[in-house]
Amino acid sequence: MEFNSLKDSFERVAKKQKVSYSKTHKVADLIVQEIDKAIQMVQSSTLEYKSKLAELKKKLQEVSPLSQLEGTQKELNIALSKYPKALEKVLNPDISKAYRNIEFDSRVVNQIIACHFYRQGLFEIGDCLIAEAQDVEAAATMKLLFQELHQILEAMKSWNLKPALKWAAANSDKLKENGSDLHLRLHHLQFLKILQKGSRDEALKYARTNFVSFAGNHMAEIQKLMGCLLYSDRLHESPYAHLLSSTNWDTVTEKLTRQFCNLLGKSYESPLSVAIAAGIQSLPPLLKFMTVMAGKKHEWQTTKQLPVPIELDKEFQFHSIFVCPVSKEQSTDDNPPMMLSCGHVLCKQSINKMSKNGSKSFKCPYCPTGINLTQCRQLMF
Amino acid sequence: MEIDPLPNGTGSADTTSTETTITKTATTAASNTALSSNPSQLTESLKLEHQFLRVPFEHLKKTIRANHRTAEKEVSAVVSSFADVTDSNGLSNDDAVLSLTSLVSRLQGLKRKLDEGNRTENLQAQRCRVRLDHLESTDAEYLSVWNNVRLKRILVDYMLRMSYYDTAMKLAQSSNIEELVDIEVFQEAKKVIDALRNQDVGPALAWCADNKSRLKKSKSKFEFQLRLQEFIELVRAENYMRAILYARRYLAPWGATNLKELQQVMTTLAFRSNTECAKYKVLFDPKQWDFLVDQFKQEFYGLYGMTPEPLLNICLQAGLSALKTPYCYEDDCTKEDPLSQDNFRKLAMPLPYSKQHHSKLVCYITKELMDTENPPQVLPNGYVYSTKALKEMAEKNNGKITCPRTGLVCNYSELVKAYIS
Repeated sequence: MEFNSLKDSFERVAKKQKVSYSKTHKVADLIVQEIDKAIQMVQSSTLEYKSKLAELKKKLQEVSPLSQLEGTQKELNIALSKYPKALEKVLNPDISKAYRNIEFDSRVVNQIIACHFYRQGLFEIGDCLIAEAQDVEAAATMKLLFQELHQILEAMKSWNLKPALKWAAANSDKLKENGSDLHLRLHHLQFLKILQKGSRDEALKYARTNFVSFAGNHMAEIQKLMGCLLYSDRLHESPYAHLLSSTNWDTVTEKLTRQFCNLLGKSYESPLSVAIAAGIQSLPPLLKFMTVMAGKKHEWQTTKQLPVPIELDKEFQFHSIFVCPVSKEQSTDDNPPMMLSCGHVLCKQSINKMSKNGSKSFKCPYCPTGINLTQCRQLMF
Repeated sequence: MEIDPLPNGTGSADTTSTETTITKTATTAASNTALSSNPSQLTESLKLEHQFLRVPFEHLKKTIRANHRTAEKEVSAVVSSFADVTDSNGLSNDDAVLSLTSLVSRLQGLKRKLDEGNRTENLQAQRCRVRLDHLESTDAEYLSVWNNVRLKRILVDYMLRMSYYDTAMKLAQSSNIEELVDIEVFQEAKKVIDALRNQDVGPALAWCADNKSRLKKSKSKFEFQLRLQEFIELVRAENYMRAILYARRYLAPWGATNLKELQQVMTTLAFRSNTECAKYKVLFDPKQWDFLVDQFKQEFYGLYGMTPEPLLNICLQAGLSALKTPYCYEDDCTKEDPLSQDNFRKLAMPLPYSKQHHSKLVCYITKELMDTENPPQVLPNGYVYSTKALKEMAEKNNGKITCPRTGLVCNYSELVKAYIS
């Protein structure tokens, strides 16, 4: 990215602005000087002051303050017109070229945004939006759902696990169903916290009451924790020092957020963040396409499928999409992917074509194996 | 995605290769998260930030121009009054001194104004620099933080354009991004829009006068439309004489270029505001004021180099199109996909589907992408899962695999690797 050229171009503007400012100042000073002279002359009231005044007037006209300003102004104007041109050259001047003239229902968009604010714990801002925009009250249900999560997280930030443990205990069955060890991990942190305070007996007591129900599946982990008891006063120098790392808190926080969202039936990432991030990735190729196909703007407004393939990062891949390497078509229920006996996969229509509807055997287009239609299997991704 | 472009031989030869691929998976998975955004992609995304740099600059330019105009005016006024003083013969000495001193104090006033203007200009120039620095500060390590700020910037832009000023302000303040959003610029628009909503064209006309040369350059008809509306209001108030005078003064100059609209509006003098004739009735519709608000917004965005649509809408549209597949609308769509939600589905309805040139396979169990490192394997019943998931399942269950969708149980050794290109 050519930031330096942009910066240079901008600094030229700033420099010329300074020059212009000091020049205007100077010109004003100059006139003040001349007028002061005139005042003195008038006050001295010599006889010839009239003619002297005329001289001064002439001089002032010769100096022509306005034309002096003109010069610096011209240079400033050049700098002012160059910078936007540099911007247009380095950056994409109009990203709305990739926009289809489809008006979004602003109520739906507002609801999405309000939900986003609540998810992120920006409750006050969400409330503010609901007050300012119309018909977004429905988003307020999100607020109730996520308030508990953010109370838990807020408490965890100040090393308080009580709300988290309370929530985990209330949902322990569901957590177990999901195969999550979150509940134990929370107890684990709490146990270490008590131990660090220096009360070994209390820690032991805590372990007895809380670890028993996890003993069946997590014995090794619990044994390690019990080992910590031996080092209660010098845990930092012990073989268990790594257990004290604050990254453990971060991972548990993330786990908790994931499980919380999961139990609510919500995604872990804010869907708005995901959609916008995907948009940022897909705009450059779309805009490139629009410049190449400048004449076909009309088609863009009506097309049922994007004209160019867009490679999104893998965090945006939510569905299996099979594209037949022969026909380049996406598979459908009527045209499913089929695996040949050699392990290569084509879609059904392509196989039918090559085998003349099963009437003859054919060679795999990717390896020299001979294929019989009966040996092909449909795949489910 | 490219998987094994040319595997020679059949499935039986691959059992050995899976061993190596699995160890590879573990290492690449760790490094991938750090590399999730490649540098060229980052550069491309920065190229979308034209508005971000342009708006504060246009703001600065406007201030510079306005300050210069006042300076010029003052200087020329002083010069000409100086000439007046020297030329006038009847002036007594004392009077001459008096008027000359007043000129000096006028110049001192100008200098104060210059200083003040210079301060504002410097502040605005600083804002331009902050934005350049912000774009340059993208760093792979803190990219997620930066992206988060970008989303907030996009949201503030949306709020400002929708006139949700309080929310915009709160969001900007709480996230400490006031320098990165254009709340100040929009204050100017707010005045005009509020007035138009109260059916007052005054501030809008003043705005037009302020930006006369630029509006003329872009052949804007906005001022004419404001004048037409004022005329219509006079007709509505049955103030016909004043309406005619108004038309002579303010509408006639536009006749050369916009005769048709002019004629249409003049006809309302005969039809009156209670007309049922559709062609003229529409002119008296209160919705005309909303139209003026929209019109103003477009002019305003244009002058400041903003996109005609909110950034949010542009990004959302592109993003939803790229994410949209026929599978998004199925019941078992994963909830991590924004298009599993009704609100997003509604928005995406009129948008095109994404286009794919290559297969992209997502493991049903781990939701991870199946690729060379984590290749797809086929169960005897034709169901496909990632090697990683199947391996893990086999290790936990003595080599047995249970298909999570059909319940079929088989041995890990019965699996066949599939080649997708």
